[in-house]
Amino acid sequence: MEKLTITATLATPFVTGGGYMTFDAILAGTLFDQIGDVDEAHAAIPIQCTEGLYHASAAFFKPLDYSSIDFVANLRANHSLDPSLIAKKPDGKTIHKAIGMKRRRDFGAVMNTYSLICANSITCCDEGDRSQIENLVAPIYFIGTRRASGFGEVSSWEIEEGVSDGLTGSDKKPLRPIPEAAFTGDKTSLRADTGWRPAYWHPADRSICYVSELLL
Amino acid sequence: MNTFEFFNQHFGKHLVEQQGKPHEAVARALIASHMLASGRRSRLSSGWAIVKPRMATMQLKLATPSINYDERTRTQAFLFELEHWIQTPTLFMVFDKKPLSVTDLFLTVDLRAVRICTPVGVQTFDYTQQSTELSPQYHRLLFRERCKNAS
Repeated sequence: MEKLTITATLATPFVTGGGYMTFDAILAGTLFDQIGDVDEAHAAIPIQCTEGLYHASAAFFKPLDYSSIDFVANLRANHSLDPSLIAKKPDGKTIHKAIGMKRRRDFGAVMNTYSLICANSITCCDEGDRSQIENLVAPIYFIGTRRASGFGEVSSWEIEEGVSDGLTGSDKKPLRPIPEAAFTGDKTSLRADTGWRPAYWHPADRSICYVSELLL
Repeated sequence: MNTFEFFNQHFGKHLVEQQGKPHEAVARALIASHMLASGRRSRLSSGWAIVKPRMATMQLKLATPSINYDERTRTQAFLFELEHWIQTPTLFMVFDKKPLSVTDLFLTVDLRAVRICTPVGVQTFDYTQQSTELSPQYHRLLFRERCKNAS
């Protein structure tokens, strides 16, 4: 394991649905695409890990522009909606409400708003296996969300020797979400309730953490 | 400290049986109907709740005596709590017809990252800063109320 600085040069603006876009999350997503199992994918991340905390920073960037962007998703409940996906009554057995024709009309176009960030590049610091990381990032052509819409296109990856362990910077501020009990840096840093390990979206993986900035 | 364990320990245990994973019990508490003080049943579909360690306060009057009830408006209640901030984890919730989602529940532990959990998403803002036109709704409301109180 060695300290690394990873830079992705961007060809298009990137979109986020919130969160810190830590480098271990980027690798976990790629590994999941290859392996198809969440736990195995997380175990295969080639980054130093201490009690579930990966030594990989959030993505840092100098924004040229911040804005929001809306996407419309069409939900058609009358196709083949899996009943197991529908909320159940408190008894856990019966469906909360049957979807009649009137209610089906309630489903349809749903608009979601995301943050759109224009930056030349993003940079992450980590402590990991250089050759494995090189192999993993090589086929990553897009980062962030709404990748299929062309956002977050990566034109090149650069991996070089770094100085940070991916947890705290030279000023002792956190470079990523770090649970209170595991943080040894500047305790005046911002604290927030957020995901600290993959899967970052899962409620069980959230905790009160020291975080780098108000980016939630 | 996990948000869902906190919710269940200080609020959810008064509403539903604690079975399964913590976030599953939270989801049940948010979508189930509860006995009101009036004798009718209702979901948590109006008003607000503030949950702090060993003390839950809400506007909608339920039958359970383990929760404190308070008739102030959402803005008044949240503003009082933030103005008298004592560095303890707090959950600010807004209820409406649409149930609050477990994925939109976040604890507030720092005035620089206040999180108001609403049925249309969590609103995050720095309470120590002035609000702007682009600030979340509750940041603007609370800042306006603060200015009114100060004048």
